[in-house]
Amino acid sequence: MKIVIVGAGEVGYNIARRLSMENKDVVVIDKDAAALRRVAENLDVQAIQGSGSSPVMLEEAGIKAADILVAVTDSDETNLVASLFCNILSPTTMKLSRIRGEEYLSHEEALNQPPYSIDVIINPEAEAVKKVEGLLNLPGAVDVGEFAEGRIKVIGIRLDANSPVTGTKLIDLRERTKSKQILVAAINRNEELIIPSGKDELLEGDLIYLVSEEKNAKDALEIFGKQDEPFKKILIVGGGNLGFKLAKALEGYPIHTKLIEKDVARCNMLAQALNKVVVLLGDGSDQELLREENVQSMDLVATLTEDEETNVLISLLAKQMGARKALTRISKFSYLPLVAAIGLEHVVSSRLAAVNTILQYIRRGRVLSAMALKGEAAEVLEAVALETSDIVGKPISQIPFPKGALVVAIIRGDKVIVPTGDSGILPQDRIIIFSALKAIPQVEKALMVKLEYF
Amino acid sequence: MRLRYTLHLVGILTFYLGLTMVFPLLFGLYYQDESVVPLLKSIGVTLAGGLMLSLVFRGARGETMTHREGMGVVALGWAAAGFFGALPYYWGGVFSGFSDCLFESVSGFTTTGASVLTQIEMTARGFLFWRSLTHWLGGMGIIVLGLAILPIVGIGGMQLYKAEVPGPAPDRLKPRIKDTAMVLWKVYVLLSAAETVLLMAGGMDLFEALCHTFGTMATGGFSTRNASIGAYNSPYIDTVVIIFMLFAGINFALHYQFLKGDRGAFWRNSEFRFFIGIVAIFFLAVTFSLFGTVYDSLGNSIRFSAFQVISIITTTGYVTADYEMWPSLPQVILLFCMFLGASAGSTGGGMKCMRIMLLLKHTYKQMFSLIHPRAVLQVKLGGRPVPDDVMHSIWGYFVLYIGLFILSAFLLAAMGVDVVTSFAAVAASIGNIGPGLGMVGPADNYVHIPLLGKWLLILCMLLGRLEIYTILILFVPEFWRK
Repeated sequence: MKIVIVGAGEVGYNIARRLSMENKDVVVIDKDAAALRRVAENLDVQAIQGSGSSPVMLEEAGIKAADILVAVTDSDETNLVASLFCNILSPTTMKLSRIRGEEYLSHEEALNQPPYSIDVIINPEAEAVKKVEGLLNLPGAVDVGEFAEGRIKVIGIRLDANSPVTGTKLIDLRERTKSKQILVAAINRNEELIIPSGKDELLEGDLIYLVSEEKNAKDALEIFGKQDEPFKKILIVGGGNLGFKLAKALEGYPIHTKLIEKDVARCNMLAQALNKVVVLLGDGSDQELLREENVQSMDLVATLTEDEETNVLISLLAKQMGARKALTRISKFSYLPLVAAIGLEHVVSSRLAAVNTILQYIRRGRVLSAMALKGEAAEVLEAVALETSDIVGKPISQIPFPKGALVVAIIRGDKVIVPTGDSGILPQDRIIIFSALKAIPQVEKALMVKLEYF
Repeated sequence: MRLRYTLHLVGILTFYLGLTMVFPLLFGLYYQDESVVPLLKSIGVTLAGGLMLSLVFRGARGETMTHREGMGVVALGWAAAGFFGALPYYWGGVFSGFSDCLFESVSGFTTTGASVLTQIEMTARGFLFWRSLTHWLGGMGIIVLGLAILPIVGIGGMQLYKAEVPGPAPDRLKPRIKDTAMVLWKVYVLLSAAETVLLMAGGMDLFEALCHTFGTMATGGFSTRNASIGAYNSPYIDTVVIIFMLFAGINFALHYQFLKGDRGAFWRNSEFRFFIGIVAIFFLAVTFSLFGTVYDSLGNSIRFSAFQVISIITTTGYVTADYEMWPSLPQVILLFCMFLGASAGSTGGGMKCMRIMLLLKHTYKQMFSLIHPRAVLQVKLGGRPVPDDVMHSIWGYFVLYIGLFILSAFLLAAMGVDVVTSFAAVAASIGNIGPGLGMVGPADNYVHIPLLGKWLLILCMLLGRLEIYTILILFVPEFWRK
């Protein structure tokens, strides 16, 4: 399995990191020597300096033997040209390309056709907006992933001191959760991932991941004391690409939305394009303006400017002034744990969204979808149990799954089963597996999914 | 630096080193000689020592490795290999003191081939095999071997690899470091197997063929005979050894590409052309100065000239003729070859042709810019510009190498060693060659060097093998600071 990544920025770096940890052959191309050095020194991947759009560089990187090309430079044009030459040099290689410009995205179908034949176009902002929408539907959660066409939800919630379950052992919790088919699949405690057993206790500050059927998701939040009022009033700070896309999406909900942007020309453009959203001209860090616009009665303040440090400060300010929740846009992955520590639960990152989407497509084949968890120590995979696989036809407790992997749900036709040790898996069942990053290669083996990356 | 984590990894390496001692034990058992008990003792102590180190410091497992720790593991790992590798000689009573045992062991691992063993034929074969095996393990690198087959490291592999295979521009044959290390070892094993078969066809038994293969492919130089390869006095064996010494002196990345079916791999590489060109020029010069003066026949001139020139430039150190009896031009050429060394990415030592070639290009560029002050010039390698920082590090390495050579020669002379011997012994140790001139010439060995001098040369050999920085950094206080 060989993957060529064009672009050693934050997205390229993190994809390379994840894949190299899974023992895949990864080659990274970038023009910038400093960015490349970071890759070469920290990761077990091959780093080549040069322009990723150059066919010579692509050949040198071994594109002809590569299964996948991931073009994720900051420049759409470079990504397009890299995909173009990849298609010429090696048409069978699967091409994933990050495209952000609206003018290109409006012709998405054309890019899927020859001469480009890009298999997957990733628009990070659109992915981020999708993620935010998921959170809007479950206001208490800090992370939401959907599986089996949305029938199963993986929900991340942060436990605080007054949650009714804080201090309870999981085994005692089982009575209450069993009837609703809710499973605590993982605990993220102090940035360490625990796949829990019945004896584990839930503590304040834990980020726990629940697996639940969609119809029970609200009940699940209630059991864990996170049943929040739905969002009715939202203030967006920053009318850039992401702010605009989110505002546009929110017009489809019964939500009153305001948007603050400090550039006049941009405001005019936004006002033209948006119908229900109130566009305000001003600086989001201006306390007077925030008070004027009733920030204290807001359900959610989303700070989405290009400058992440500003976002963090405005989010803190808004929360301090009384806003119920804040959603903060972060670009640097290394800030993610820090931001949770200072009390900003809801984080959106278009880059993280892009990484997740790309990983999901890389795992195509028998794996249907995937979700990377916060802190990045684990992934949730959805797969079909093959008849030939080792996992079929015996109780789960006897399946030779590696440490750190757990079957959290079985979907058989219309039925969703939250398994116990005795449950068995039948052929053609769809199973959802929670796996620590290190165990993923073994999980793939156990599934007999010689993952058909094509 | 996290010393605990470093020592944990050094412990694992030591443990596996103990396992490799089983091979000489097999020969010892087969020949029923007195090496069996000392080897058994050494295996036990090395295994136990490695196990203890790794278990005592087990707590630090699973962390990622920094650049600094990578160098620490490699430097301390090599020191540990030298120490534990000396145990069989010590318990076998091969030498009178531990210093001599350590000298022989480090000389083996660093593929120097400088010996303090005077009666080679009298020594038990188990010890001789271990002596040659240390060459072979050290030739491609004990860390590279570890990366290829041991499950010791994941993420820190690159740091370790760079610390053991520094080179001006390390080749990466495969995206993953484990695969790269594996490929290098496969090529190494393949070439070694080929040479063993060819040497056996020339009349050597398995034991001798293996020992000399290890000495050749690792560019080491330990022989099982006092008179080295010269003892066989066979043109066939000379030819086989010449060819494989050349192979060992070429970048292994090129062997790999060639074996993969890229027929032009060698000739396209500018360092290869430079290396072969230098070998050809020196070979011709030495041949002409020998013909008619030392040897009457052209055939003998060619045979002995080719063997000695290639043996020294690849830093192997096998001899078939006492070149100290030769005129002074060939001797000076051989001394120069000691500094030059083989190709980057080979098992050979010295300063490496790649560096010398780039330094020459850079110097020419300087002169060119005096003539055309406005010319925009770049040093290129294989059509690609060489980054400035690589150029700077090569100059730095050059200065360090020469500085180290001068300082060590001063120290050796201060211990009462004569001029020629001081210079040649240091050059032959840093360059990992083995035989030098004077008291350490091809017909003599290092046994007469004073005790302190032997320790100095031990250090020189390690510095030379790990390209100076990795060892030298241990003596910088900042390295140990937390």
